[in-house]
Amino acid sequence: MEEPREYQVNLEVFQGPLDLLLFLIRKKKINIHDIPIAAITREYLDYLDRKGRINLEREGEFLLIAALLIYIKSQMLLPRESMREEEEDPRNVLVSRLLDYQKIKAASTLLREKEGKQMMLWQRTSLPPLQSKDEHEHSEVSLFDLAEAFLTLMKKKQQENFRLINGKDFSLEEKMKELIDLLKEKGYLDFLEYFYSQESMEAALVSFFCLLELIKAGIATAIQKSLFDSIEVWLRQEIPS
Amino acid sequence: MSARLKDVIESLIFISLEPLTLEKIKGICSEFSEKEIQEAIQELTENYSSNQRGIQIIQAAGGYLFSTKSEHDQWVRRLLRLEQKNKLSHAAMETLATVAYHQPITLAEISALRGVDSTHSIKTLLQKKLVKITGRKKSPGRPLIYRTTDRFLTYFGLISLSDLPSEEEITKILDEEKFLE
Repeated sequence: MEEPREYQVNLEVFQGPLDLLLFLIRKKKINIHDIPIAAITREYLDYLDRKGRINLEREGEFLLIAALLIYIKSQMLLPRESMREEEEDPRNVLVSRLLDYQKIKAASTLLREKEGKQMMLWQRTSLPPLQSKDEHEHSEVSLFDLAEAFLTLMKKKQQENFRLINGKDFSLEEKMKELIDLLKEKGYLDFLEYFYSQESMEAALVSFFCLLELIKAGIATAIQKSLFDSIEVWLRQEIPS
Repeated sequence: MSARLKDVIESLIFISLEPLTLEKIKGICSEFSEKEIQEAIQELTENYSSNQRGIQIIQAAGGYLFSTKSEHDQWVRRLLRLEQKNKLSHAAMETLATVAYHQPITLAEISALRGVDSTHSIKTLLQKKLVKITGRKKSPGRPLIYRTTDRFLTYFGLISLSDLPSEEEITKILDEEKFLE
C-alpha cells in the first residue's frame, strides 16, 4: 500500500501538465524512456482528483495530457495486425515532449542563477524597474491605504479656505476619461498631488471614485514603492478598449 | 599615447546608455588600430577590476558597460529604496528559456513545448523587452515570430547568444537532479 500523504499537491505549483508528469516520473524513479503508462496515468489522475474542480480555462491542458496518456495506453493494449519490428512505440510522442521540456526546465534553472548574480549589479543608466502586476512581489496598496491617504488629504484641504462654486456636475465618465488621458500622457500620477490639484471637494470625490473604478477594472494600479512613500497610480499596459 | 586612448574609451563607456561595442569604439577612435584599442580596453578593465574601485566594467550583449560590484548591492538598494529587484516569475522564466533556445519561435510552438498556454508570459516578456517580435512565419495564420533581445543578454550578463548555458551544462544539471533522488 502507499503511504498516506500528508500534503496536498496544488496543481498551481506545477508549470503545466508536463511539469506534473516529470514530477511523478522522478518521484517514482522511473526511466523516462520506459514509462509504465497505466501506473503513471493513475497517479496523474489522482492528482487531478485531489484538486477537485478543474478550471477548464486555466487547467484544460492538464486534461489534454490525461487524454494523451489514456490514448497511449489504449494504443499499447490494442493488438496490431502486423507486428512489425520497427513499429513505433506509442509512448515516443510523449517521451520526446518530456525530454524537450526537461531541457527547458534545466535551462531555466541555469538562467535563474545568472539572473540572481546579475541582479546584484547595478548600472547607472537603468532606472529602477517598474513594478507591474504581472510579476508578483510588489507592494500594491490596498483600498484602505488609498482611502486613508484620501481622507488625510481632504482634511488638510478642508482647513484651507477655498470657495465652493455650486452648480457644476461632474460626470463619472468624463472624469474617468480625463484620468486615463492624464495617465496616458504622464505614465503615472502622484496620488496626493493629483487630488490636491482638484478644484473642489466634489471633484476630488468623483475622481477618487473613478480611480477606484479604474483599479477595480484592472486598468490602473496603485503602487507604493516603500512604506511612507507617496502612492503612485500607474496605467496598466493594456487597456481594454 | 596608449594612456590617452584608455581615458577616451573610459569616457565613451561612461556616457553610453547601452553596452558599447568594440565596433563602435573602433569607429570613433579611427586613428587607432584595433590592437591598440583592444589593449586599452584590456588595461582599463583590469584597472577597474582591482579592489580599489567600487565600479567595474562588464561585458554584456557584445559590448562594455559600467556596473556596480555585487558586494555593494545592499547599499545601492538603500539609495534607490528598493527592497529587491523583481525577479521573473517562474512561468516567464520558463517561457524565456524556451524562446532563448528555440528561437525564432512562434507562440503556438512555445505553448506546445511547455504544454501550457504561454500568451500571458510572452506579453510580460514583451513588456520587459526581453523578447521581441521579428516578423511572421510563412505558415497558415502567419503567426508572429519571437526572438530574444539585447536586453535579454544584458539581463543575464551574457555576451552573446552563444554564451547561453550549453547542452553539456544542461545535461549536467539533469544528471545532478537524478543523482539527488
